[in-house]
Amino acid sequence: MSKKMIVLNHIYKSYGDLKVLDDFNLYINENEFITLLGPSGCGKTTCLRLIGGFEAPDSGTIEFDGKIINGLEPNQREINTCFQKYALFPHLDVFGNIAFGLRLKKIPKEEITQRVEEVLRLVKMEGLGSRTVSTLSGGQQQRVAIARAIVNRPKVLLLDEPLGALDLKLRQEMQYELKEMQKELGITFVYVTHDQEEALTMSDTIVIMNEGKILQIGTPEDIYNEPKNRFVANFIGESNLFEGIMHEDYLVEFCGRSFECVDKGFRKDEPVDVVIRPEDFDFVPPSKGKIVGIVDSLLFKGVHYEINVIVDGREYTIHTTKFRDIGVKVGLSVDPDNIHVMKRSGA
Amino acid sequence: MNRLRRYSLPYLVWMGIFILIPTVVLLILAFSDLSLYRPGTFRLSLANFAIFSLPTTQRAIWNSFRFAGIAAAICFIIGYPVAFYLSKLGIRVRKILISLLIVPLWSNMLLRINAWEKIFTANSIVTDVFGLSISLVGTDAAIVLGMVAMYLPFMVFPIFSVLEKMDPKLVEAARDLGANDVQTFFRVVFPLSGGGVISGFVMTFLPALTTFVLPAYLGLGKYTLIGTLIESKFIKEAADSRALSINQGSLISLFLMILSITAFLLVIRVDKEGETLI
Repeated sequence: MSKKMIVLNHIYKSYGDLKVLDDFNLYINENEFITLLGPSGCGKTTCLRLIGGFEAPDSGTIEFDGKIINGLEPNQREINTCFQKYALFPHLDVFGNIAFGLRLKKIPKEEITQRVEEVLRLVKMEGLGSRTVSTLSGGQQQRVAIARAIVNRPKVLLLDEPLGALDLKLRQEMQYELKEMQKELGITFVYVTHDQEEALTMSDTIVIMNEGKILQIGTPEDIYNEPKNRFVANFIGESNLFEGIMHEDYLVEFCGRSFECVDKGFRKDEPVDVVIRPEDFDFVPPSKGKIVGIVDSLLFKGVHYEINVIVDGREYTIHTTKFRDIGVKVGLSVDPDNIHVMKRSGA
Repeated sequence: MNRLRRYSLPYLVWMGIFILIPTVVLLILAFSDLSLYRPGTFRLSLANFAIFSLPTTQRAIWNSFRFAGIAAAICFIIGYPVAFYLSKLGIRVRKILISLLIVPLWSNMLLRINAWEKIFTANSIVTDVFGLSISLVGTDAAIVLGMVAMYLPFMVFPIFSVLEKMDPKLVEAARDLGANDVQTFFRVVFPLSGGGVISGFVMTFLPALTTFVLPAYLGLGKYTLIGTLIESKFIKEAADSRALSINQGSLISLFLMILSITAFLLVIRVDKEGETLI
């Protein structure tokens, strides 16, 4: 296991009566790409600002590289931030923006020039050093913002929804590039987003947050395949959620039918939440299906169809490459290991 | 657009009558020997330019620039911190403080200058109330202080408006990149407020440069400034039927007008949206 770069210990933070972080505990490993993911207002940006030093916690400690840094100003922390709307200095050109941090450190001119050019190459902006910031496109401004931060060779880079203002195509391209950059530079990335797809694509570790608390920490695969509760299942990807009862190990009942599953360790007849991903349903002939319904709507999504099937008055969402027309009677089956049983939350 | 144009007609007519026509008259007078009150001969001439070679005129111009320059500089030194402080305040306190700056501007300037004159005179009401006898009228200090008192808000507002609109994230970005408070101010905040500073300088320097009431009251008439000179050319000397005094006054007025236009061009150059102009 690699060493812990940042440790947040029992952090509390409120604005007035509003509790933003409530006994928040998290550690971040060296060289990790970690994403704080959650709906707006969940405290993820506050968490980032605490690490950056722009806010102070009401209580709790923040450790960086083994030392408590609560009292340090942002300029005393070996951490740089890539701001949400870039916050580039409008009175400086691209070079001036990127060299800002290096000039403050009184680094010799030649070295500054060399390092700025190196980082411009890395973000694919060679030769644009003398451009004014306002003449750059959104994507280019984004690259300058990243360059301005990483040229200082921070141990940790904080990114606050950096791709939020870009269009889809550019965003996907930048996701890939950011991930590559992180591997190449060996910097710890702490990334904040509310975009679950972005989080799944880039992260080594995802932290799902809601209302100032961590709901689940894990790899993208873990979080997608084994959501811990209803909220996580709903937030990450699309889900069919059912209320069910765990009769015994490996046997769960929902929608009035019993299914084999791979989960165990619940009390007998414990109420549970069951999640089935839309792509985990298969069509079978109606005579062979445990679940039988009528196709209610059909949307073509490019790679797959999104089909809504009404079963006993409730809607099931299915993603499939197979075509079934509206009004057709279909049977549905699901593999036991695609049925995810979770402790009932908020009951 | 065209439909709207006719609604602006009253103002355009107003401007034509009271600004455009007088300017043309001013131009004609400045570059000829035409007498305004007794039009007779009319000859284009540059003879009026001789006025600029007179020591009185040169001293008046020098006095105006000196006092206006010092006053604008003091306004800047006092005003910038005020603007900076205002921009950091919460909306409520800020509103109160800004009204404290604005409300006095609504009272007549002549009255305010008159009040300063009383304050700066020995054995005034200030002596009765506070036991302080200030005797400043007729000195450089009285004129400069008077100018600062009159025009300070015009330095504060443009700077405040730039600082207030500045993205606080820029300050955070500077701090993030390793700048301490002082470095952040000099490398980011101050350069970005440059437009406001230039507007502020223009808006305090120009009225101070052209004032004639202020030296009359606070200088006890001992100082000749450009405004004083123009006043005397148009009124006193004209009443004495001094040849060409109005023509010379017109030329000096044009000189001031050119200064104002230059200053305005400078301001719109640094501030394209005109956000610092009030």
